[in-house]
Amino acid sequence: MTNNEFLLQMDEILDLPAGTLRGHERLEELQNWDSTSLITFIALAETNNGVPVSPDQIVTCSTVADLLQLAQVGS
Amino acid sequence: MASSEATTSQAEVLKVLRSPIVLADILRKRHVLKKELLKQTNLTPTRIAILGGSTTTEVKSMLELFLLAQGIEPTFYESGYNRYLEDVEFENPDLWKFKPNIVFIHTTWHNISKFPELLETELEVEQRVRSEMGRFEALWEKIHADLGALIIQNNFDFPRLRLLGNLDASESFGSVNFVLRLNAEFASYARDHSRFLINDILYLSAQVGQVAWFRNSYWYNFHMALSPTATVALTQNVAAIVKSVYGKSKKCLVLDLDNTLWGGVIGDDGVQDLILGKDHPVGEAFVDFQRYVKNLQRRGVILAVCSKNDAENAKEGFSHPDSILKLEDFSAFKANWNPKPENIREIAAELNIGLDSIVFVDDNPAERVLVEEQLPEVAVPNVGADVSCFAEVLEHERYFEVDKVVQDDLSRSAYYSSNAQRSSSQAKFSNYGEFLASLEMTAEIGSFLPVYLERITQLINKTNQFNLTTKRYTSGEVEAMAQDPAFITLYGRLADRFGDNGLVSVLLGQVLEETLQLDLWLMSCRVLKREMEFAMFDALVERCQARGVRKIVGVYIPSKKNSLVAGHYASLGFSPMGGPSEDRELWCYDVPPTYSPRTRHIRRTAEPLLVVPNADNESVPSEA
Repeated sequence: MTNNEFLLQMDEILDLPAGTLRGHERLEELQNWDSTSLITFIALAETNNGVPVSPDQIVTCSTVADLLQLAQVGS
Repeated sequence: MASSEATTSQAEVLKVLRSPIVLADILRKRHVLKKELLKQTNLTPTRIAILGGSTTTEVKSMLELFLLAQGIEPTFYESGYNRYLEDVEFENPDLWKFKPNIVFIHTTWHNISKFPELLETELEVEQRVRSEMGRFEALWEKIHADLGALIIQNNFDFPRLRLLGNLDASESFGSVNFVLRLNAEFASYARDHSRFLINDILYLSAQVGQVAWFRNSYWYNFHMALSPTATVALTQNVAAIVKSVYGKSKKCLVLDLDNTLWGGVIGDDGVQDLILGKDHPVGEAFVDFQRYVKNLQRRGVILAVCSKNDAENAKEGFSHPDSILKLEDFSAFKANWNPKPENIREIAAELNIGLDSIVFVDDNPAERVLVEEQLPEVAVPNVGADVSCFAEVLEHERYFEVDKVVQDDLSRSAYYSSNAQRSSSQAKFSNYGEFLASLEMTAEIGSFLPVYLERITQLINKTNQFNLTTKRYTSGEVEAMAQDPAFITLYGRLADRFGDNGLVSVLLGQVLEETLQLDLWLMSCRVLKREMEFAMFDALVERCQARGVRKIVGVYIPSKKNSLVAGHYASLGFSPMGGPSEDRELWCYDVPPTYSPRTRHIRRTAEPLLVVPNADNESVPSEA
């Protein structure tokens, strides 16, 4: 999954128009970043990338780009 | 899966919710899916309380999607985490105010209060079973008594670990053995209580796979008793149960023939060279699929053929010695060279069912796409081309889920056979009245009886066309009205010389001083133009006269499917009341002191119809 594909996926998870997220957005400022989207993120990281992610790791993320790094799609 | 009102573009989006389901697609698209699904019109509203023994946020989110895909719009109440007992026991005012139609109790093995200790005696384990059951039965009985809601209760899945290994299954103090005993008790309770349905998560966990069913990370981080994969399976299953409760399960399976019911092309290969039978691996798979279809038919699913073939060739295929299905198993048979959507429309008209009651199975993807595009109401599962997978795909979609099996369901094919006889008989008469007289019809009409309540509820929730108000009621509500002296309730069964049509009509209303306000009047379309509506009206007027009711007020609420009865009240001599209303019409009938019965060809009786020429033709079927 490319960075752009990841961002589009996050747009869908957060119910935003495609192309909204660029990576710099702060998670705490995203209206739909809640427990449901957090679980979805974890499940997709595992399903799509085979990457286990824990909520503790997510707590350390402050931006969308941090999530991207966590899901190891940016490398 | 989409309701009949879904457009083609919506149907495209909704494919995400159909087999083969890809978890990632649902997770990603849940917002857009919900938006698209909410664009459907004529959604059936329902209130569902989810009482959870674990976190239920994901359950609610997924269940909402699968219900919307069935044309059901839920409003939810969610208990707090593991508050499923307390919310009921202490009568949480929010839950009581919510007045759920359905209570879904989402418990799993984590909610078994205590598993047996090692080496506990059989007596001690039995006491433990009783104690656990007592806890749940108190919960269920309070829900039924105070909330009047239908209950959907998970049985138990197996614990994650087996302390005794394989002995866990055989020793009475083993955890696996204990779960099986509790599940047997739950099942027994379900058999004895009509408003209680089991959501079989033991089966689901086996289907998903124990390892994928429960994940430590989701439990320890979120107290989710199910993984996301399992949550999808669970909610799809619960939605199927709710769909069946609301009479939205499919009624008819339309099948292609060549390479669908047998291998090869009957027109080219002839019967002798068809691939069908146990002497060939693929032939054996076709036999098994035919057996599956035959079993569906035995439990009430109507079968029809839609094949590009010469009719005579097509019929010959069923003379193959290994063919489980026989010609007489099919209630409609279209084998010709017309486009399949055209044939399916004709099948629906012939059987008097909606297109949204049909599932179409064809190995040919081009035919599937054509039907899918031209008839978006018809369910077209992606069965692929491998016959060994056809039944699994159909099962997975839960098209034909039933919440109960009543005798009327089992005799559906017999009904259609006798209906064909009726049609053939009709052709011999030039005068329709003569035909009606020749049927020698007898109607049993009376107040609701406990023995008929299940069938009455089924009819109320299934009938769409001859239905003046399309109001739906749970069995609890029907039972309450049957016992309330303020209500006049009538059911009607109709028999004729060809067989028993079963319980085909329901009518009920509330008496307010000297006026009867009709709330429901419906009839199976199978007995249209047989004067049954007149027989019901005659009985109603007599009942009103006996109770001193001087006026009957009828309501007609137009829907997309009930234009058939737009002129019903006018035809019976009712007068329109008041000014026009956007969503309903009111009609009034002054009950005369003397009344001449409308029906001329039906003999009425309040006695049970015991003498039926074809005793096996117990009745009818799916209501249109």
